[in-house]
Amino acid sequence: MDFIVAGFIKAIELLINFDHSTYTAVSATLQASTCSMLISLGAGLPCGFLLGYFNFKWKRPLRTVLDTLLALPTVSVGLLVYAFISSQGPLGQFGLLFTLTGIAIGQTILAFPIVTAITASIVENIDPELKLTLVSLGAGKRNIIMTCLWEVRYGLLAAAVTAYGRVLTEVGISMMVGGNIKYHTRTITTAIALETNKGMFADGIALGIVLIGIAFAVNISLSFLRKQ
Amino acid sequence: MHGKKLMSNLLAGVFLLVLATNSLAGEKGLMMATTTSTDNTGLLEYLIPHFEQETGIALKWTATGTGKALKLGQNCDVDVLLVHAPPAEKAYIENGYGKDRQEVMYNDFVIVGPQSDPANIKGKSISDALAAVKSHTAPFMSRGDDSGTNKKEKLLWKAAQIPLPDTEAWYVQTGQGMLATINVAQEKKGYTMTDRGTYIKYQDSRGGNAPLKILVEGDEILLNQYSVLTLDPANCPKAKYDLALKFSDWMASASAQKLIGDFRLLDQKLFIPNAK
Amino acid sequence: MTQATYKLNQLQHYYGDKRVLDIDGLQIQKGSITGLTGPNGSGKSTLLKIMAFALKPTAGEVWFNGRREVPLSPRVRSRVTLLTQKPYLLKRSVFDNIAYGLKIRRDRDNLDSRIKEALASVGLSYEGFAHRQWHQLSGGEAQRVAMAARLILKPEVLLLDEPVASVDTKSAGQIRRASLTARKDWGCTLVIASHDLPWLYECSDTQISIANGRLFSTGKEHIIPPPYDLSQKKGPVKWIGTKGKGEYILLPPREKPDGFAVIQQEKIRICREKEKKTGWDNQITGEITSMLMEKSSHHIMTTFQAKNFSLNIRFSPDQAAALKLLPGKRLILMFHSRDIEWR
Repeated sequence: MDFIVAGFIKAIELLINFDHSTYTAVSATLQASTCSMLISLGAGLPCGFLLGYFNFKWKRPLRTVLDTLLALPTVSVGLLVYAFISSQGPLGQFGLLFTLTGIAIGQTILAFPIVTAITASIVENIDPELKLTLVSLGAGKRNIIMTCLWEVRYGLLAAAVTAYGRVLTEVGISMMVGGNIKYHTRTITTAIALETNKGMFADGIALGIVLIGIAFAVNISLSFLRKQ
Repeated sequence: MHGKKLMSNLLAGVFLLVLATNSLAGEKGLMMATTTSTDNTGLLEYLIPHFEQETGIALKWTATGTGKALKLGQNCDVDVLLVHAPPAEKAYIENGYGKDRQEVMYNDFVIVGPQSDPANIKGKSISDALAAVKSHTAPFMSRGDDSGTNKKEKLLWKAAQIPLPDTEAWYVQTGQGMLATINVAQEKKGYTMTDRGTYIKYQDSRGGNAPLKILVEGDEILLNQYSVLTLDPANCPKAKYDLALKFSDWMASASAQKLIGDFRLLDQKLFIPNAK
Repeated sequence: MTQATYKLNQLQHYYGDKRVLDIDGLQIQKGSITGLTGPNGSGKSTLLKIMAFALKPTAGEVWFNGRREVPLSPRVRSRVTLLTQKPYLLKRSVFDNIAYGLKIRRDRDNLDSRIKEALASVGLSYEGFAHRQWHQLSGGEAQRVAMAARLILKPEVLLLDEPVASVDTKSAGQIRRASLTARKDWGCTLVIASHDLPWLYECSDTQISIANGRLFSTGKEHIIPPPYDLSQKKGPVKWIGTKGKGEYILLPPREKPDGFAVIQQEKIRICREKEKKTGWDNQITGEITSMLMEKSSHHIMTTFQAKNFSLNIRFSPDQAAALKLLPGKRLILMFHSRDIEWR
């Protein structure tokens, strides 16, 4: 139990002393997660919109597949990405293994189904009165889509936050694809795994607190967006 | 749609940027796969900056079990290996994956267990000790992860002519690194086989007074030899063979060997340099 | 003669297998006010959505100002607007809601004053309401804002689907006034679906009824609605009151498996209780439960009720006087089954 208290103290120490390994881990985490979030949002929001808005033959099976992908274990994704970017794999020549880019690719694969599936659900549940109102006010196709998305912006934000949470806390991909290389691809989560494995529980707790702190900071800034 | 085009351009830009910065780093760098024991003890953290300073070559390493390290080398995902499984290493070279093998340091394996020693193994030979553990069905923690340590442990059972207690309830396969396995042994008041370096680190992290004590040591079979393995360019033409050779030579050099010998915790040597 | 604003041709609409609209033809004149009545589920809302070009009909054509048009066509966009029963606003301020239609047309001149004017036309003050958020309004206020958002576009056609059904009396009055002012000020064509018969009869030039997706001239022809009892030996029958007992309407033999019974007003003879006549195989006794005056023609629109069967009968002022019509007056309707058509 006492390692939890020790952990809190250690967390403050690490942050105040600008501990290099901690800060590089934070930076690695933020780089990989932000990159993967931008891409999965950029691709997932339109895909989710199309999936939710239109009716077509393969809609239901596609939704089912997508919802199943929500339960992808991160180690499996890591293994999958490794197979592709290892030097034996088809994308081997890009040298993506043991890099943050590689991690970002894996995390994008993780986040994309989340963003798409939640967006599709939100769009499907848009009040039909909304479209009616927009047509009545003279909106064309483009305006209808943009305004619909803006009207459900809070729901979309929730989709982004959910995906971000998953990406920020995953270990399987970062470990498998990144290699947990200190100062380079060691993220906060792989660092926690390492310290815990070494029995350095207080350090593990400390890093966990740092991670929660980041998540908290992100959510606070998002809540300001909500206020408006 | 204007917004969508902007977005996709932005994303392409981000991707390319990250890609570029990564490939820039790759040029004069060496990628090594090593085992958890060299990494967790802190040896590499201490040693490698000297290598980088003396040779100007940047070295990045990933610490996994020996099994995975060998696989990474086979797949040409790394340039050089630092492992401790001599029979597997020799087979590696024979199979055309490895090229040069340079022994660089050793320590030994020990059996540790609770002070109370319920199976009464203290001071016995390794074969007798294992037999005692089995007859008492005392809890025994194994790495169970095909690492160098794990391979050695399996060899010990074989040498004691006891079939591997794979499915026995008292034989606990953790599937994790050495320190994690020691922690499990501590929790369950069981025995485990560990390299001395990691044991010293474990003691150090508990202020020198950890519950598990060394009970069996000294048998010749408990020798734990670490070597640097370069990869065969025939199998991995893209691996940086010349840089790997430089690393191998450096590890055997006088300065590296002295650094290894000087690495201590609790005033004990964790690794003994023995390059020829 | 001015071109018809709307011409609907052979319009049919299906939801899945169910046919909800079946209109051979309908014309709406420019600047007219048309009242649309019908029970729930009759296809009223579907028809208005199609006329608003928010829904593409399964079959048939909608001609607008002499051209065949489809949803989202640039020629009908913001020329035709629809106000629905439930007040619906975008999640933004009142100001932004009203400005939306103009903003997407990139029409930003004098925005403030035009919005002030639009709010005034529905009886809301700029100071009090322009900056309120969508969730800070009562139902009636929200509907008025929705109305203002449409009026500010000065549309050619205003379609209203039960616009005042869910609002308070004051808001209802404002909305009614605003729609009539639209007609007065820029010749807006109005099509109003409502249960509020007094209002419709007061202001509309024409009334249409709709039932089961088909159109009828209110007052000129009557639908005898299903269910029909086809088991009787004498022929198909519509029971009035309890099935199997009491009064019924005898219907002619039916050819097609679906459709319903219709009779023209002129084929019905109406008498007061005292004067019973014979020679008709259908005689229905009932009473007048409501009487309303049609503004334009001074005809009297009544509801005749016999147990659970009711008809809207239109009387000329002379007929009304002759029958000494009053609410509660008992009358006998007499008609022959052979005058009933199946449609």
